[in-house]
Amino acid sequence: MNGIWHQLRTHLTLYFRNRMAMLYGYLFPSVFLLAFYVLYRYERVPLVRHMGELLTVTILGGACFGLATTLVSERERGVWRRYRLAPIATGAIVVSTLVARYILLVTAGLLQIALAMGLGMPLPAHPLHLVVAFSLAAFAFLGLGLVIAMLADNVPAVQALGQTIFLPMLIIGGVAVPLTSLPDWALHLSAYFPGRYAVEAIQATVNGPGLGSVGFSLLALLLIGTAACVAGAGMFRWDAKQRFATSHGKGWLAVALAGWVGVGLLAQWQHRIIPMELAAERAAIAAAANRPAPAPTVPAEEPPAPAGAPASGSDLTADEHASADTTPAASPAPSEPAPATPAPTSRPTPAAITPPPAPEPVPTPRPTAPSAPAAPTPAPARPAESTTAAEPAPWEKVTRDQVMADLVFDRLPPDSGVVTPIATADQEPPEETWTDLDVLYNGLQTWAPGRVPDVLERTRNLLFVPSVIDVFQLPTEPYVPQMVYDILERDIDKDVLIKVLYWIAVHPDEGSDAAVDQMAPLGIPNGPSDIQEVRGRLGVYAVKLIGRLTGARPAR
Amino acid sequence: MPPKVRVSDLRKRYGALEAVAGIDFTIEDGEIFGLLGPNGAGKTTTIECVLGLIQPDAGTIEICGLDARREPRAVREKVGAALQTTALPDRITPREALDLFGAFYQRRESAAALLDRFSLTTKADVAVDTLSGGQKQRLALALAFVNAPELVFLDEPTAGLDAHARRELHAEIQQMRCDGHTVLLTTHDMDEAALLCDRLAIISKGRVVATGRPRDLIADSARVQQITFTTARPFPAALLDVLPGASDMSPGAEAPGLREEGDVSRQADLNGAPRLRQDGDKSPQADPDGAPGLRPRGDTEITSATLRTSTPGATLLALVTALEAHGVGLDELHVRKATLEDVFVDLTATSTTEPTT
Repeated sequence: MNGIWHQLRTHLTLYFRNRMAMLYGYLFPSVFLLAFYVLYRYERVPLVRHMGELLTVTILGGACFGLATTLVSERERGVWRRYRLAPIATGAIVVSTLVARYILLVTAGLLQIALAMGLGMPLPAHPLHLVVAFSLAAFAFLGLGLVIAMLADNVPAVQALGQTIFLPMLIIGGVAVPLTSLPDWALHLSAYFPGRYAVEAIQATVNGPGLGSVGFSLLALLLIGTAACVAGAGMFRWDAKQRFATSHGKGWLAVALAGWVGVGLLAQWQHRIIPMELAAERAAIAAAANRPAPAPTVPAEEPPAPAGAPASGSDLTADEHASADTTPAASPAPSEPAPATPAPTSRPTPAAITPPPAPEPVPTPRPTAPSAPAAPTPAPARPAESTTAAEPAPWEKVTRDQVMADLVFDRLPPDSGVVTPIATADQEPPEETWTDLDVLYNGLQTWAPGRVPDVLERTRNLLFVPSVIDVFQLPTEPYVPQMVYDILERDIDKDVLIKVLYWIAVHPDEGSDAAVDQMAPLGIPNGPSDIQEVRGRLGVYAVKLIGRLTGARPAR
Repeated sequence: MPPKVRVSDLRKRYGALEAVAGIDFTIEDGEIFGLLGPNGAGKTTTIECVLGLIQPDAGTIEICGLDARREPRAVREKVGAALQTTALPDRITPREALDLFGAFYQRRESAAALLDRFSLTTKADVAVDTLSGGQKQRLALALAFVNAPELVFLDEPTAGLDAHARRELHAEIQQMRCDGHTVLLTTHDMDEAALLCDRLAIISKGRVVATGRPRDLIADSARVQQITFTTARPFPAALLDVLPGASDMSPGAEAPGLREEGDVSRQADLNGAPRLRQDGDKSPQADPDGAPGLRPRGDTEITSATLRTSTPGATLLALVTALEAHGVGLDELHVRKATLEDVFVDLTATSTTEPTT
């Protein structure tokens, strides 16, 4: 025992004597943190939404490269042979090396948190939960590092093997690129990688409801880590020449892979492929487009508590909570979008060009079950044409109570998301969008479809503008909705506007779509091919404005 | 007192290659025992089996009265080792290394005492990477003594060192003898073996081909003497075939225009064969008919040759007479006793092309 303690101490001492290791272990995580800070500079609370990603990258790097390189280079040079001459089990030396690496990872993680707090991030919401999530993630990845060390014959092989695991995990594994930006196939793939579970678990403890909501992720990390450690022990070789000396050495690799595959299949089986946030966006579109969202299929492990509920034991103020929270889903998320729902365009956007998302206000939790609002009156064939006082238009019969009862604001996609984004008031448009925004602004003042007398048709036409831009994913997309909202609020009485918007939200398929092909004067290309998709966005933008007008989902 | 080490019928096979093919030896208490052999003879495999680094296929290994195959940890408590292929962690200092490895043992010597004993005090706190070759080897020896061992294994301790560092190391090892330590030493340096070892085992192709005290091995071999001569004019090589007592002839410089005969080889004579312990009937050294030495072809003419004989007087007389008869005068003539190297080369000549194990 004395020997193991001594070895651990010596290992740490020697690590801090190695300048290159220090650079890799501490500078790299700091640079990554600063890069994220710059990348997401528009966020109100710096970095709080990215600590899961940042800490996971640190653990991943330390385990895939740091641990494996140390183990392999020591084995290659004969250090382990030297240890084997002593009356001590080689396994004990390996465990001590793993513990030393864990301690180093903890110090690197603390450095990242301290740096982030220095840049304005509040203390993580659940510090003790964070320790547990971080440790389980470290366990999973250190096991992976051990397997890499047993597979690789030399240090260059560690680098090659490490990269083939590290990079995919970063890009399509949900570690550096948000899952919400990934296409569906990558989401399915990422369920087989430990990275996304580490990010989910850690993130939930930093600005989420804590570990209670990420039981599956913790289980996944535990399974993957255990399988890797068992495989690492089975494949263990203290001498470089001893590769798979035992006849069943390669079989142990299957154990490690079984951990990954098992977790992925479990995630598939439990419908956990689509992350909650994205599922909520899709559900919101379904709801706003007046299509019943599919019944929740996720087991009740994800608590139906409102995501923004103040976390116990947190030092955050309510306002900080509000800004810190990003999860719009307040109810179990459906695993798949409704078949008829226009699916949001998948955006495999690398983190580097993801539009800077703005923090989302806390939606008011509503117990209302996802429902298809009953159409109060039969829909007219062409509602836009009937505005005579003698026969009120169907939308005029809409009541405020109906609006508030039927609409589910807490299922709306976040304004900071990739679907129907709306910039915050203090978010400055980037310079390259100024010209386009000028053209648009000036064009809107005289745009004929935006000046038709029928208030329903005019509203519908104007709301098509941000919807088309959103579908096209133009760089101006977050800045246009408010511009249109301002025009609508200026020109139309608030009560009338709410009724009209409600009508549009629940009948997005009714009415003329002609305006979609008349946007040239606004500097917008004509006609996206999928009108259903545009109508879906139309509904969401309509409900978002109702939320602002009624205070049910206010803008920041 | 029972022997410190008793190895019998040790066998280890790597695929088709039998690296150790039934090795036996014993090391008595307080003895410096040398394992000699060319590269690939099986020395390293033997020592790794004995140390428990690899599992032998068969055989018994008894160290300090313990069954080494059953109680490897207990054996390691009593044994110190300096192996060629081991290394220390990066950037560690000699003092830290001695402290670290000392912590693994129940019984240990203080780092300060070992640093002093192996003249490393001034280098105690610098990184190991900055030490000279000799200093590194002294540190390896110090590490081998960190647990005050009953038995020390030194694997080629002077390999790659300059003459000065070698002399320092030799002094250290001789001091071990004075201190009463039991040492197992592997080397392929004959002078070193002759200087340091009380007893030797020569290994070839995974077998022990001879054991004994260095001077006995040399003395046995010395009964065979070596005659080397050059002549002023070429003479027929066939002339040498009829010399009495000469067992093996190697042509030296050939006469111009004659074909090359290849490598020089020597072979112990049947009649005057050294009374070495010959292990294994298949040893080529024990089989006079299997003598692999090159003989000059009958129709070639040569100007020099080396002969081995156990009756140097008779052989010399016959040689001079025969040359006289052909009208050939002698330019040079040397007669010398065998060295340990001759013994070694004799016994291991056929195994030098084996792959390293």
